Amino acid sequence: MMRRLRKLLSGSYVWLVMAFFYLPIFYVMLFSFNKSKSLTNFTGFSLQWYQKMFESRSIREAIYYTVIIAVIATVVSTIIGTLTAIGLSKSGKILRTIVLQINDIPMMNPDIVTAIGFMLLFTSLNVEKGFGTILLAHISFCIPYVILSIMPRLRQLDDNLAEAALDLGATPFQALTKVIIPQLKGSIISGALIAFTMSFDDFVISFFTSGPKISNIAIYVYSSIKRINPTINALSTIIVVIVTTVLIIVNVVPMIRERRKRGIQK
Amino acid sequence: MRKILVALLAVLMVLGFTGCSGNNEPKQELYVFNWGEYIDENNITLFEKRYNCKVYYKTFDSNEEMYTAIVGGDKYDIIVPSDYMVERLIKEEMIQKLDLSQITNIGNLAAGLKSPDYDPSHEYSVPYFQGSIGIVYDTTKVTLEELEEQGWNILVNPKYAGEIYMYNADRDNFLPALKALGYSVNTTSDEEIQAAYQWLINQKKTMNPAYVTDEVNDNMIDGLKALAVAYSGAATYIMSENENMGYYEPKQGTNIWSDAMCITKNCQNLDLAHKWINFCLEPEVAEANSLWVGYTSDVQSVIDKLSSEGGEFYGINAYTPRIGYALDEEYHDDLTLKTKLAELWNQVMFAE
Repeated sequence: MMRRLRKLLSGSYVWLVMAFFYLPIFYVMLFSFNKSKSLTNFTGFSLQWYQKMFESRSIREAIYYTVIIAVIATVVSTIIGTLTAIGLSKSGKILRTIVLQINDIPMMNPDIVTAIGFMLLFTSLNVEKGFGTILLAHISFCIPYVILSIMPRLRQLDDNLAEAALDLGATPFQALTKVIIPQLKGSIISGALIAFTMSFDDFVISFFTSGPKISNIAIYVYSSIKRINPTINALSTIIVVIVTTVLIIVNVVPMIRERRKRGIQK
Repeated sequence: MRKILVALLAVLMVLGFTGCSGNNEPKQELYVFNWGEYIDENNITLFEKRYNCKVYYKTFDSNEEMYTAIVGGDKYDIIVPSDYMVERLIKEEMIQKLDLSQITNIGNLAAGLKSPDYDPSHEYSVPYFQGSIGIVYDTTKVTLEELEEQGWNILVNPKYAGEIYMYNADRDNFLPALKALGYSVNTTSDEEIQAAYQWLINQKKTMNPAYVTDEVNDNMIDGLKALAVAYSGAATYIMSENENMGYYEPKQGTNIWSDAMCITKNCQNLDLAHKWINFCLEPEVAEANSLWVGYTSDVQSVIDKLSSEGGEFYGINAYTPRIGYALDEEYHDDLTLKTKLAELWNQVMFAE
């Protein structure tokens, strides 16, 4: 009896937490299909906000820049972050501690400070703000997350494996790509995913480093919330759908591959 | 791993190509920095077609954000600050004088916008949208007579305790208090500011008001409370969704505001910038913008058309804010006052 009660309680707790996480998202999605402009009264089903969204050139441009910046920033920051992490794991303790502490600063720093810092830097260097500057800013704030995600896994690695590879005739580059990186794959992917989401929804830093030509989804949404507009809900819904799909693919594809492998072995 | 990289590169290239298409000849460019959701985007396309140019249109969320970006060296041709910010930008010489001979449509301006305090002869700026702050009320719970009798003080009438939304934004939060006490919204007297602060503290103690920002729109449409301090633009929307709602501008006076188009000091294309301002003053363009945004137009003929019988905003008095009333004031640029009010407002918020 007691056990059943406990099970029930713990079960409902999970559901409560889930509801807390997902109800707001569901709410946003629901009202993207609203017939009227209201965000609290559901008056009927319609797709007009999706139509409006795709008709809007600002939203199209914002989506384009958001995706392209997020993809490039993720690729570059993942490469730099992975190499840095591997290098750090082989360096002296003092150097490693110092670099890791410095690596923490951008993450602890409020975004607005980083943003104004970037803006002043670019201004004082007389760099015209645009695609290049926002991309640089995004790469730089993504790198710490990649390093942070990879470091713990690196500590668990057996150093002997890389040495064995070298002993058996692998070049250092081969040892890196064939022995070290495959072992880190999981944490590299999770680092890349964090970097992607950080870049995808960043507003503050983007606003101050993007200049007059570039606008991303976050800037568009943030400057539009003053006036009621369910196209924002439509946009959010599409983002949620994309992110969910990506997550499902990332999680399901390895499972399928694993199963197939096992099938072949049998 | 390699496959993923290849796929990513492919995506990038496709995106890259679509991004570059149509860039065959160098066109004239215009950089516009405006509030979010503040234009019917078809107007941008129309302007591009008419003058064979490319408009880069970017949006901001607050005057301060816009100001920081400009100070930080972002090069825009047209910006659309609010009244007090225009005043500051003129003081700091960050916007330049307009050539009014190129803005032939300036005569279209609405009656209430002919000579704003911040720039009485439109040397530097041409208004874009306008509005006031007032009280949205549920006509089934509150009568117009009560409002006319009590004005802003209805917000401290115990009869409506728990039935009030106060607007929680810079300076707007102090507006009802200052005006209820008969002071100017631009007062520099510490005594008056303290009195207004006490008014707000008392209100908080006796009335239990809800401090909100934009959620007030939907809440009032649902008729959750009887009274709300709101912008005329929001009130227009509320009234068009719920016919039981009314809008009232107290006789003690209120704040009237306008956002205005300005040309920056480092504008790259003066000719096109003037054309943009002139374009926005065309009745068809202004009408489309006003219909899209729901705010009061800067063009008189548009206001007349939309508020007359058969117009989109017929019967909605919030769309036609009061003009030429001596006690209505614009906010002036005053950083000391702003900081003082912000500090006191925090104390109001944390008061028990």
